[in-house]
Amino acid sequence: MKNKKILTCATIALVASMIAGCSTNNSTTTNKQEVAKTVAASEDKKDEADSTGKEELVFVNFRDIRDLNPHLYAGEMYAQEMLYETLVTITEDGYKGCLAESWDISEDGRVYTFKIREGVYFSDGTICDANAIKANFDAIIENKERHTWLEMMNLLVSVDAPDSNTFVITLSAPYYPMLTELGVTRPFAIISPNAMMNGSTKDGVKEYIGTGPYVLTDFVIDEYAVFEANDNYWGEKPTIQKITVKVIPDNQTRILALEKGEIDLIYGKNMIDADAITKYADSEEIKVALSQPTSTRQLVMNTTDEILGDIEVRKALQHATNKTAIAEGIFYGLEEPADFLFSKTIPYCDVALTPYEYNLETASQLLEDAGWVVGSDGIREKAGVKLSLDMLYNSDSVTEKTIAEYLQAEYQQIGVQIIINGQEEQSYRDNMKAGNFDIVFNISWGTPYDPQSSLSGMTAPVYGDYAAQLGLDNKAEIDEAIEKILVSTDETTRQQLYDFVLESLHKDALYIPLTYECNKAIYTKDLQGVTFTQSQYEVPFYNMYFE
Amino acid sequence: MKTYILKRIGSAIPLLFCISFLCFVFINLIPSDPAEVALRVRQTPVITEQAIEEVREELGLNAPYLVRYGRWLMNCLSFNFGVSYTNPSRTVLGEISRCLPATVQLAMVSLIFVILLSLPIGFLCAVFQNSWFDKIVRAIVFMTTAMPAYWIGLLLIWFVSIYLDLLPTSGSGSMKHIILPAITVSLTYISTYIRLIRNNMLENMKEDYVLYANVRGLKQTNILIRHILKNSLHTCIVAIGMSIPQLISGTIVVENVFAWPGLGKLCIESIFNRDYPVIQTYVLLIGTLFVVFNLIFDIISYVTDPRLRGDK
Repeated sequence: MKNKKILTCATIALVASMIAGCSTNNSTTTNKQEVAKTVAASEDKKDEADSTGKEELVFVNFRDIRDLNPHLYAGEMYAQEMLYETLVTITEDGYKGCLAESWDISEDGRVYTFKIREGVYFSDGTICDANAIKANFDAIIENKERHTWLEMMNLLVSVDAPDSNTFVITLSAPYYPMLTELGVTRPFAIISPNAMMNGSTKDGVKEYIGTGPYVLTDFVIDEYAVFEANDNYWGEKPTIQKITVKVIPDNQTRILALEKGEIDLIYGKNMIDADAITKYADSEEIKVALSQPTSTRQLVMNTTDEILGDIEVRKALQHATNKTAIAEGIFYGLEEPADFLFSKTIPYCDVALTPYEYNLETASQLLEDAGWVVGSDGIREKAGVKLSLDMLYNSDSVTEKTIAEYLQAEYQQIGVQIIINGQEEQSYRDNMKAGNFDIVFNISWGTPYDPQSSLSGMTAPVYGDYAAQLGLDNKAEIDEAIEKILVSTDETTRQQLYDFVLESLHKDALYIPLTYECNKAIYTKDLQGVTFTQSQYEVPFYNMYFE
Repeated sequence: MKTYILKRIGSAIPLLFCISFLCFVFINLIPSDPAEVALRVRQTPVITEQAIEEVREELGLNAPYLVRYGRWLMNCLSFNFGVSYTNPSRTVLGEISRCLPATVQLAMVSLIFVILLSLPIGFLCAVFQNSWFDKIVRAIVFMTTAMPAYWIGLLLIWFVSIYLDLLPTSGSGSMKHIILPAITVSLTYISTYIRLIRNNMLENMKEDYVLYANVRGLKQTNILIRHILKNSLHTCIVAIGMSIPQLISGTIVVENVFAWPGLGKLCIESIFNRDYPVIQTYVLLIGTLFVVFNLIFDIISYVTDPRLRGDK
């Protein structure tokens, strides 16, 4: 009897704890619910709103905005671009003044004098003058070792603010990508000195206060962030007054949410797959936009390899690669076939080169001439060595696997055996860096880092390029030319050096360009002004409006 | 009784220690350098050897392996679980306490669905054994057990949120948001418990006490509810109790599909980002939950079942 009572009590306790669990939870999340109500209310308002002049946009990302300290690298760049600004911005037409109205570069290319725009205020009301900018640079320099990937940090001698409208940067040597590095979001975006912790930002900031077109008004980790138009903004005020960024990690759910109208815009290279783009290409409710090429998807061949050390084998593989079939069959024509290491639309990359034409006969002939004869199993051999190569790819990337399988079948036709080797992202990177590959998939850095940073990366053992190029006879000359490019002050000389580097790499045939990757967006039909900028991480909300 | 409980608690401590050590060992066997991964996740454009070395220093990864484990364990005892590698401004304890309530909420609502649905359906299946109702339920049970949660989730979003336009597709904050993820989580469990209750009841129906009750002329409803169901629930309560930690740890896929800000989402992100402190704390927490629930329901069984105590 006693046991029965205990059992009954235990059952009641279990049910009660469950109910209590839920009710406690409900009470502790009251705050969240209130905020959620606000979001829900805003959603309702959105539905009720007249289709013209809607001023609220719901954007989506796979993770939350994280730490938006502009001087560190832990935050989402699109969100940092909404809050903060830099001295200059990079546009299609070149550099444009932003917080700096204009600038002068000394004859020797070492001293940059910026005239700071007057009447610019941070969203907390503090003035953004040369002193505020110097305070930012001081904070960045305090954490200099974290930013050494930017060559200008290594060349930086001093920063000065001789008066409230003038800001001067002095370098130890001329450096032509200087303005590009100042124009990318991190780390040279400017935060209000009041938001710093005793003049420092390396250990965090008090608030996210910038001069940008929006201010952050609400943020719930892993759920959403709300940005509203900055009343203090000095430039043209954006039409979209409020942007809610929801977090939806799953690709399919994001698309379903867009179909339901819960979100207005999905934007970014890795946020949308080719299937979704083709699905909505002819839709009337959902629109699709693609940018100009931003980066190059390519295969890199390891020239230190016994087989690939032979340039004839590399050339044969160049001719055996059907890029058009990859672009159309795997990317549904959304990515253009790539003939060169960088698209001709990238600065300095419009170089007169002859592409390696797809021709299996030429490929076979080249191998034949190089002494590789077809064995009994259909695989070519030379001096007892089989023409068998390992192709490393990132197994997290569905497209790389598909391309690898396609090329495996293609190369088989000319008697080349490909053993495809998919590895999880970090292992793939580790092997690439260590040069543990015959052929590896790679993507160039993309705008605005191409071509200068991609080329600069080839000179140090940081990425697979360095390891892959070690077998080239002209490696030293190429590296020397790249170093000269970075410090060149004369435009013609710089172009000549780029011509030399790009031509050499093309002739060395170690890169097989596959397609030019582009940025993508899908959005509701009422949303207008969805464009792309030179920075592939930026979402230009300020151009957007609802019809 | 007291000795039994103390003995069980005593054996749980070395078990937790083993869980934490094995977890630490396995995580550290992963060849990738967490410092390099942290730099990549923080979107550092160029990852130089120098930068990696600085982050290794910052994260304390330069210390020998066992020293790091010892340090971590000592810190855990004072509830200091460290700082996330990829989001240095967030502490692991903060992350876990932020995500745990959402997951517990989801698990509890799912559990309510499980109990509310599996109990009456399992009961009816046993009472009307081999009827058309029983057969249809069995077919559905087989189907739902075989369907992956990811797929069920997406189908539900498409059907309920888009086609019927009844509920939001994803997110959190209101009871409306929790319905679809809770249904998705509970479907597999409902199928299991329907079968468990049904089978238990059928077994009990064959027992002598049911025969005697019938002989005594008791009402059928009385026999079914007060005797058979009650006796069948005994095993089910322990099974359902043990499924609570399972529910808490088993929401990873569903949380990602429905953008539910819980532990599962945190865990999967941490695994991809090699965020060791978060993974270690997560494993320790789930291990503790299993040990604690196991202990509680063992004690309940011990108290309620005279056979386990060896009572005569």
